[in-house]
Amino acid sequence: MSNAQIEIQLIASLVAVACAIPGTFLVLRKMAMISDAISHSILPGIVIGFFMTQDLNSPLLILLAAVTGIVTVVLVEYIQKTGLVKEDTAIGLVFPALFSIGVILIAKNANDIHLDVDAVLLGELAFAPFDRLLIAGADVGPKSLWIIGCILLITIGLLLAFFKEVKISTFDTGLAASLGFSPAIIHYGLMTVSSVTTVGAFDAVGAILVVALMIAPAATAYLLTNNLKRMLIYAICFGVFCAISGYWFAHWLDASIAGSITTMLGFIFLLVYLFAPNKGVIAVLYREKQQRTEVSLLTFLLHLRNHNEEEERHVNHLNEHINWQKVRSKTVLELALKNNMILIDNNIVSLTKKGKDFTSQAIDYIITNEDSKIEHMKDDFFLFRG
Amino acid sequence: MLGSFAVLRKQSLLGDAISHAALPGIAIAFLITGTKDSNILLLGALISGLIGTFWIRGIVKKTHLKSDTALGLILSLFFGFGMLLLTYIQKQPNANQAGLDKYLFGQAATLVESDVWLMSLVTGFCLLVLLLFWKEFKILLFDADYTKTLGFNTTFIDVLITSFIVLAIVLGLQTVGVVLMSAMLLAPAAAARQWTNSLGVMVFLAALFGAFSGVFGTAISASQNNLSTGPVIVIVASVFVLVSFIFSPSRGLLFKQIRFIKNRRDLKLHKTLAFMYHIAKTHDNISHPHTIKILNNFQGFTKRTLQKLVDKQYVTLHGSNWSLTKEGFKTASNLYNQQSDSHE
Repeated sequence: MSNAQIEIQLIASLVAVACAIPGTFLVLRKMAMISDAISHSILPGIVIGFFMTQDLNSPLLILLAAVTGIVTVVLVEYIQKTGLVKEDTAIGLVFPALFSIGVILIAKNANDIHLDVDAVLLGELAFAPFDRLLIAGADVGPKSLWIIGCILLITIGLLLAFFKEVKISTFDTGLAASLGFSPAIIHYGLMTVSSVTTVGAFDAVGAILVVALMIAPAATAYLLTNNLKRMLIYAICFGVFCAISGYWFAHWLDASIAGSITTMLGFIFLLVYLFAPNKGVIAVLYREKQQRTEVSLLTFLLHLRNHNEEEERHVNHLNEHINWQKVRSKTVLELALKNNMILIDNNIVSLTKKGKDFTSQAIDYIITNEDSKIEHMKDDFFLFRG
Repeated sequence: MLGSFAVLRKQSLLGDAISHAALPGIAIAFLITGTKDSNILLLGALISGLIGTFWIRGIVKKTHLKSDTALGLILSLFFGFGMLLLTYIQKQPNANQAGLDKYLFGQAATLVESDVWLMSLVTGFCLLVLLLFWKEFKILLFDADYTKTLGFNTTFIDVLITSFIVLAIVLGLQTVGVVLMSAMLLAPAAAARQWTNSLGVMVFLAALFGAFSGVFGTAISASQNNLSTGPVIVIVASVFVLVSFIFSPSRGLLFKQIRFIKNRRDLKLHKTLAFMYHIAKTHDNISHPHTIKILNNFQGFTKRTLQKLVDKQYVTLHGSNWSLTKEGFKTASNLYNQQSDSHE
């Protein structure tokens, strides 16, 4: 592993961490698309900044780009506040307009310089180590490493200092306001941090990857936990893991690093989306099936209780009466047997004492309709679930 | 045109997501066939766009992630994957690969005749289906539950609309490119929304706005050097939106502001009148004259409001004195009891 490789991975990891922190809050605040808007609309800021300084590396550029990002947020909110269109439409209107202005500015005035739409959107991590920061003639490392390092330090500092405030205002704006934190300040603070992070990171990894790094780890972590601190930690871990593995993937394929990091993120998200223990698709489908069987069982037991006539309780008759398919009724019958709710005698089904207790409680529940009761009740009676 | 549905369905950003999601489709189609036949590439884009859309729906439905997160996620992930494939393709020894990235930003000038034919064909087809299913689309849009109770297959209609939006986006990609496609979808519809409340008119207006911004944009970009068509079209469309926001008669900002000021002035007038009424009440004769000076203590009093009250014959002026007329007294006493006509 050469020096440059280590540096690239370091930059990628730092960017991942720096993005994951504001990203988590954006996802929780349902403002994920704002990051996309910001990443596009900083373009005119960068272009104007370049015209003013004629220097692609000046800090003014980052400042102006961050300002454009905030302008975007303010514009979106203003349009939304007029009530003419919904928030998502407002976002969709603002950023393409700003982006177009940026593209036109470049096309008109900056054709001959190194400022290219592709570079802005896609970035190129592989070149990051070549852009060294020289202090008094001494080489102290790649420039983007320093930039993103500073941003990360500031972000972490702000996070530690205002963790409580941000947490409250994220989950309960009303409470935060009544406790005396201004939601507006926190909102714009968060937006500023996101803008600055986006700007600082886009140079190294490109606008699209910034969005991916902000949203994907946070979304993945959100599927795994409901705890904010844990979510932050998971998001950071995912980000760093994907950054490093993505780098090696790109190395192997000889393709864009930014693209392959995103692909890794997508892959991890897909895995978690399918297999997350509580909220994954498979878990949800399984739970839905279980619940369906349980409801069927309940219907079945209630049916038994309501009918004392033998012909109504014949196994074959149940198929017709409750209108289930064969397999379904068989599952339900077996489940009831396993739980000792019914007795089958000569193909005539009858309730046991336990079954009777269960049904009478169920009727109670249906009449009073208290939500909390049913799960608890099921636990009492069920040894085997569907 | 189809954008109207997207805007009304609160799926505006779907366009953005789909246009990004189409990129890996283009890249994969190219990898498989190795040619740059635009029809095959578009087919690939269509398929990957549809996959993206349905994955978004899956995420929103099955997990507790919100739609914005799902959109952003799919958008960036698919795009990143597409970039990976594109850079991978660039490394391949295939001379054909140049120009694939044209799809990113679009270049209307590169369109050839067959592309235009294809576009018109698809547009016509969209129009036909739209007319055919007009009633169903409309009802689903505004009251999904009701549609279900009427026995329509909502999933089918839903999928149909979504597919058409995807189709429209994929076609538009060539013209304005990935990034700006969402504006093309949204801007005309958002502008049209300001002028009307009727879906039919809105769709028609949106199509009109879209066509106009296309024509103007192309004209402007052709008249100048170095201007790519896509961004110019988007800017023109944005100007349309801005104008609509400001000047539309019932919802526009300008008229809203005027109405606001007018209301405030009315309110001030009423306040003055009420104040006069309280003074006049203490006297037996309601027309008993008072000096204008005492009104000066009162906020919101100006010469003009007084003049207005005179014009309405609520008040008469004698030199520096004023007195309420009978009519003025009556209006004032009813002011807070019922909405008077002048209230608007």
